[in-house]
Amino acid sequence: MTPKNKNLLVGGLIIALILGVLSPFIASTNPDGLDTSADHLNPGALNNPGYYHAPFADYSVPMLGKSPLAGIAALIIGVLIALGFVYIVMAILKRRNRSDN
Amino acid sequence: MHIPDGFIPLWQCAIYWVIAIIFLIFAFRWGRKNLSEKNIPLMAVLAACLFIIMTINVPIPIGSSGHVVGAAMVAIIFMSPWAAVMVITLVLIIQGIFFGDGGITTMGANIINMGICGGFVGYYTFKTLYNPQMSEAGVLKGSGILGKRRLLSIGIASWVAIFLSAVLASIELWLAGTFPLRLGLEYMGGLHAAIGILEAVVTVIVIASLERVRPDLLAWNNRRNSKADNLESETTETISK
Repeated sequence: MTPKNKNLLVGGLIIALILGVLSPFIASTNPDGLDTSADHLNPGALNNPGYYHAPFADYSVPMLGKSPLAGIAALIIGVLIALGFVYIVMAILKRRNRSDN
Repeated sequence: MHIPDGFIPLWQCAIYWVIAIIFLIFAFRWGRKNLSEKNIPLMAVLAACLFIIMTINVPIPIGSSGHVVGAAMVAIIFMSPWAAVMVITLVLIIQGIFFGDGGITTMGANIINMGICGGFVGYYTFKTLYNPQMSEAGVLKGSGILGKRRLLSIGIASWVAIFLSAVLASIELWLAGTFPLRLGLEYMGGLHAAIGILEAVVTVIVIASLERVRPDLLAWNNRRNSKADNLESETTETISK
């Protein structure tokens, strides 16, 4: 990886992590557009328990309780997963392109 | 805009999944052909930043809130809607599986709304509004009235992308019997018209910043450079003949 691309990766990661730390404090707690619409048009739909329970549901690490730290930890985990997962998928795609050629 | 499980009947979810998978096959084919060494870290960074930006809900009137999606942003940066389909899908998979944001059964619908509709509408609206011939006349320097026109095109494209994604979601929810059509369109369309302003501002800021800091990451500059390279090599060939 070139130094320029390494800087991009590190710089982007730092920006994402800063936003992750700030997010629990700056994000609105109001329901989002879909939830607001459901609240007005079909409140019963919001009571559906769903088919699957995510390990960090509502962007929170359960073992850290309801503190802002639980949210920050979940978001940092998410940033690292997103960065790593997408990087690996794209690297595999590119490698397959090289092997095709 | 992440539709949770239970909002759409399973048989309709299956249809949305099939449509999403067909688009994903084409998107990954595009990725295999077009990804370069420097695109990989850019895509990873965009995914990480979009993941986090989607968690930052900004308050809007009537006690609601909204967040940026970023499909138009990715499509314009890479000048391809397929790039948006890939990145947004991977982010939605992570959000759904690890964080319960958006359902598993409804993920196909979410991919269609945010990734496919957002990416394609954003890209083609931008392409329609922004005349590429202007770029040949030095428009891409990012200053002056033509630079403003480009930024305006990016903003409008981002707004239209999120607005139509919300309209599509409300149609799906009407087909599912969850929302009535007219009120669903009014609520979802109205709320996301407001959220679209935020989407437009963030998209313009991100792309304008990239143009200033790393213009080589924007696909339109690479196309221009490759055109210039081709022209140069053709000229050299002609001279040598």
